[in-house]
Amino acid sequence: MKITNYGVTLSRLSEDKIELVRNWRNDPKIAQYMEFKDYITPEMQLNWFKKINNDSNYFFIIESEGKEIGLINVKDIDCDKFKGEAGIFIYDDDCLNSTISFQATLCLYDYCFETLKVKQLSAHILNDNKRAIKFNKMIGFKILQNQEHVNNQLYLLTYEDYVKNRNEISPIISQ
Amino acid sequence: MEISEFIKNFAAQFDDTEASEFTLNTRFRELDEWSSLNALAILNMIGKKYSVFIKPDEMKSLHTVQELFELVNSKIV
Repeated sequence: MKITNYGVTLSRLSEDKIELVRNWRNDPKIAQYMEFKDYITPEMQLNWFKKINNDSNYFFIIESEGKEIGLINVKDIDCDKFKGEAGIFIYDDDCLNSTISFQATLCLYDYCFETLKVKQLSAHILNDNKRAIKFNKMIGFKILQNQEHVNNQLYLLTYEDYVKNRNEISPIISQ
Repeated sequence: MEISEFIKNFAAQFDDTEASEFTLNTRFRELDEWSSLNALAILNMIGKKYSVFIKPDEMKSLHTVQELFELVNSKIV
């Protein structure tokens, strides 16, 4: 399964790519921003993939100009409550100073809200990850009340807030 | 478009740099806090406040607040 929009392609994570993702995820430059920071073994990675390879979890490799540069996901989709939890990391340093993270996010969120009919996305962000907080606020995420002193803070994004912010960002990042 | 208001809006896109540090001569790429995310936040602010849409590539050759102000001004109809 592939989704192409906003100049990027998202390819659904398949078993042959989980080692690539494991190597990215174990790199300290990525692991430092994750709640789970322990080393991930091949066996742990395979067990994780078996748990998420279903219609409640959508993990995608982000591809830009034919290069695999990061991972984006919506997980724990609750079809009854129309909710899911979002996440993203960009591994390729060359892409950090670009608009690719926004392009990939809009590509996935359009799919979530408009095809999967999710009504609300959540995101957990470590309170010292200023870049991620700024990024998610630009997309329209809002921090929940009583989260100020929590280490791994919970943010929520409604469809209405997403559309408003997407319509402001998309003219800037469109190719 | 008011210069002082533009500088204030520009400064508001930074979390750690004091607003008082920003002037028309500020070379924003040399700030410790500068990142591509700041650039997008600034372009997003310009779109919202001034209805002017500037692409990231157009901003790459700019270095001072004044240069950006002049670019925005030139695009206001």
